Amino acid sequence: MANAAVTTASPVRAWVQEKIFLGMTVKEYVRSLATPANVVLGGLAAMGIALMVYRFAVGLGATTNLSQYSPWGIWIGFDMMTGIVLAAGGFTLATTVHLFGLHAYHPIVRPALLTAFLGYMLAVVGLIADLGRPWNMVFIFVRPGTTSALFEVACCVALYSSVLFLEFLLPTTEWLGLKRIRGVLMKIMLPLTILSVVFSTMHQSALGSLFLLAPGKLHPLWYTKFIFIFFFISAVMAGISMVLFEGSLSHKAFASRITSHFDVDRLQIGLARAGAIIFFAYFFLKLQGVVDNHAWGHILTGWGAWWAVEMLGFVLLPALLFAYGARNMNVKFVRIGSVLGVLGIALNRLNVSVIAFNWKLPSAVRYVPSLMEVGVSVGLVALGVVAFRFIVNRMPILGEHSSYRGSEY
Amino acid sequence: MKLNRRSFLKIAGATGAAGMLARPAAASASEAGGVPGENERSMLVDTTLCAGCRACEAACSEANHNPAPPEGDAVFDAPREPSPDAFTVVNRGPNAHDGTPRFAKKQCMHCVSPACASACPIKGIEKQPEGPVTYRPERCMGCRYCMIACPFGVPKYSYNELAPRVRKCTFCFERQKEGKLPACGEVCPTGALTFGYRGELLELAKTRIYSNPGKYHPHIYGENEAGGTNWLYITDVPVEKLGLPGGIEKSSYPDLISGALSVPPFVMTLWPPLLMGLYVFANGRHKEHGEHGDDHGNGNAHGKEDRHG
Amino acid sequence: MTHEFLSLYAAKNAEYLLAVGYMVAFIGWWKFVNGGKRAVMEARAEAETPKAKHAAAPAKQPEAHGWFEIPTGVWLHPGHTWARAADDGSVTVGVDDFAQKLVGGVAQIALPKPGAPVAQGVPAIALAAGEKAVPMLSPVDGVVSEVNSKLAEDPTLLSEPYTQGWLFKVRPARLQANTRQLMEGETARAWLDNAAASLAARLSPELGHVLQDGGAPVSGIAQELEPERWDALARKYFLT
Repeated sequence: MANAAVTTASPVRAWVQEKIFLGMTVKEYVRSLATPANVVLGGLAAMGIALMVYRFAVGLGATTNLSQYSPWGIWIGFDMMTGIVLAAGGFTLATTVHLFGLHAYHPIVRPALLTAFLGYMLAVVGLIADLGRPWNMVFIFVRPGTTSALFEVACCVALYSSVLFLEFLLPTTEWLGLKRIRGVLMKIMLPLTILSVVFSTMHQSALGSLFLLAPGKLHPLWYTKFIFIFFFISAVMAGISMVLFEGSLSHKAFASRITSHFDVDRLQIGLARAGAIIFFAYFFLKLQGVVDNHAWGHILTGWGAWWAVEMLGFVLLPALLFAYGARNMNVKFVRIGSVLGVLGIALNRLNVSVIAFNWKLPSAVRYVPSLMEVGVSVGLVALGVVAFRFIVNRMPILGEHSSYRGSEY
Repeated sequence: MKLNRRSFLKIAGATGAAGMLARPAAASASEAGGVPGENERSMLVDTTLCAGCRACEAACSEANHNPAPPEGDAVFDAPREPSPDAFTVVNRGPNAHDGTPRFAKKQCMHCVSPACASACPIKGIEKQPEGPVTYRPERCMGCRYCMIACPFGVPKYSYNELAPRVRKCTFCFERQKEGKLPACGEVCPTGALTFGYRGELLELAKTRIYSNPGKYHPHIYGENEAGGTNWLYITDVPVEKLGLPGGIEKSSYPDLISGALSVPPFVMTLWPPLLMGLYVFANGRHKEHGEHGDDHGNGNAHGKEDRHG
Repeated sequence: MTHEFLSLYAAKNAEYLLAVGYMVAFIGWWKFVNGGKRAVMEARAEAETPKAKHAAAPAKQPEAHGWFEIPTGVWLHPGHTWARAADDGSVTVGVDDFAQKLVGGVAQIALPKPGAPVAQGVPAIALAAGEKAVPMLSPVDGVVSEVNSKLAEDPTLLSEPYTQGWLFKVRPARLQANTRQLMEGETARAWLDNAAASLAARLSPELGHVLQDGGAPVSGIAQELEPERWDALARKYFLT
């Protein structure tokens, strides 16, 4: 961090320079942004925003490949469903530390909560892009369609996003020096943690319940009346995998922000042990689902092979990698396992929502995302990475604020 | 000729329908004991009588301010689906035993327990007690979950509008409120469409099947499909060949989700005491061992600056 | 989902088989995940670092668990004597493993005569070693019916205190009431471990010849601990 001469012009300017520009002058800061990674990230994010504007200008028909057969595309399947499930690390880690009392994992709770907060914000943006009449969204609280699983999703996502926002407000108040507000927030942290688990359980499972209404459209190897339980368990799996994946990257990329040394490898091995158990149990749960649905005959088909790819390559293999890595204190295996875990849960959500959905349709009319849809999705992810970096470089996320060392939350 | 016949049948139909609907408005049938939706307004489609004239398509477009349907028999060469601008289409099926082709009209089935209405999170689609399943675009937020839910693939979406809408047959609910027949039923020249109460139409359909042994397939499409629909079909060729979807569950679709949906109240009730108990248990033990503020000897005793690990 | 009824059985059987198979596999999986290098390292680390919870306890001492034995079916008196009920209604009485190891080298045992009354908590026998004798309490009320004559010929039988080293048999007067003051099973074992721990606290690591490389003491602990006043030490434990 370059320490430039502080302008004596005004306290506001000094504050902006210190807080926003990391102590650099505007010119220096802009220059510091000129890296190849930033060109890519910035380009993708700008493209995503531009495409969003275009989508609202010309409508869904001109920008997406959505059809009468396939009303849901990757903005639902990836941005909303995958985004929400990969953000499950927030409540998983918060539960581990604050409710299970495993305080060894305290250093990685805040990054997990930040990932969750940004994940949900981006999921909501993706949802707004997909909705035909998003301005009517707010009326869901006035005219609740309580028979709908989507109502449950919408309400719990809205409520949980508020909880995440309040949890995110904590490091923000530390960064901004808002002691009184921070004090109030600290008092409600425990109830917020409990609410986060309640809301997360409800909407992660409700995202699965959505597809209960479509037994004829979702392939029998994925359709089961227990799909809502599977979605909840896989949310926990996604949370663990995402925390491992994001942690590996952040710990290296933002090493200068870490204030207290902790053995991140040991924590990752601990998470891998939990991951190995849960992935293993989930594998057998899915088998039970197939048996319960009398769908074993489908295993020896083309779709069965694809199902086996998801099960063996992206559920069983990560379980083995986690187990092996934990046994032998080999973090590399754990990290590879986490990448496969993240990809596997994303694959599962995409399978349920767009790939194995409408499996009976002839391939000529099957849904394939348009370039613009992909552009928006990729752009939103890039935006998330940029926001994550911006926040981590300024707020006490990876490290502790000097005035609040040893804080419980 | 069509005009005269149509106007004659209009009057006859209106009187007939008025006569059938002369009974005092009864409440919707209770599910227990009676036939589901037996007092809901329904339509019986006898495909053995359909001539494929597509007058219903024309009348429907007119009544709903949609563009006029394409003319000519070339439309029958490929199966068609309703579209955002065509709430109903007539498809041609195979020839029957007597060598004449069979046709069937396709539109919203107006289910007794509609999946779309249960799926809508914002009450944009509602089941009216009289029978029709109606949509209100001013309420809709465009999530298109109704399209996912409908097993018949009925709702269409006007993606090309800037404020898109769900588009489907309304059963001419406004006309029914005025005591008129739905537009299609009014113009049908052959009597293939019979409007009435679901219970009575089921009886009528069964009577026709039993009175003409060997003529009809002994199945009323819509009697049990999706738990029962208000549009009923009797036919003498397989329904799937007429463009009507097969593989529909014989029970109501909203029932498939009611189990999962009863979970949230349990979670809201059970999780807080469970989690608080966990918290007290886990953190009580910690206080006993004085881990808060102590250096944990968890393997690496040295170099840990943070209190909590 | 409409299924043929018969395939319901196949499905249910498969489900149960799968679930049971999974539960069996889970045991192995859990062991696999939690074992390996990590477990070995953690165990070693635990052993090396001082436990925070034991920080207040005194410096290192030998582990005292399991030094002294007690078989099942035996009632233990706090004075380190025992009673065992036989099928014919008589009660056999002896001294426990702790007592005989504590005193050690018993040359002579003073026993009551047949027909003599004994009372719970009242001295009934004495163990003599060297020039000192230590009295011990009877665990039950009753009348002595038989005495172990073999002990007089061979006092070393005392090293099998629960079998060959029994002292005397009693016709019990109030066995039910007596047993309420006595310990057995896990309670007795835990109490014996406590006594052993208190002994261990007195022992120092330098007494290598008493503790054979961390093993249990053999015999004559009291004399090792307090050569001049071992009988006073023993009477402390025997409550006499």
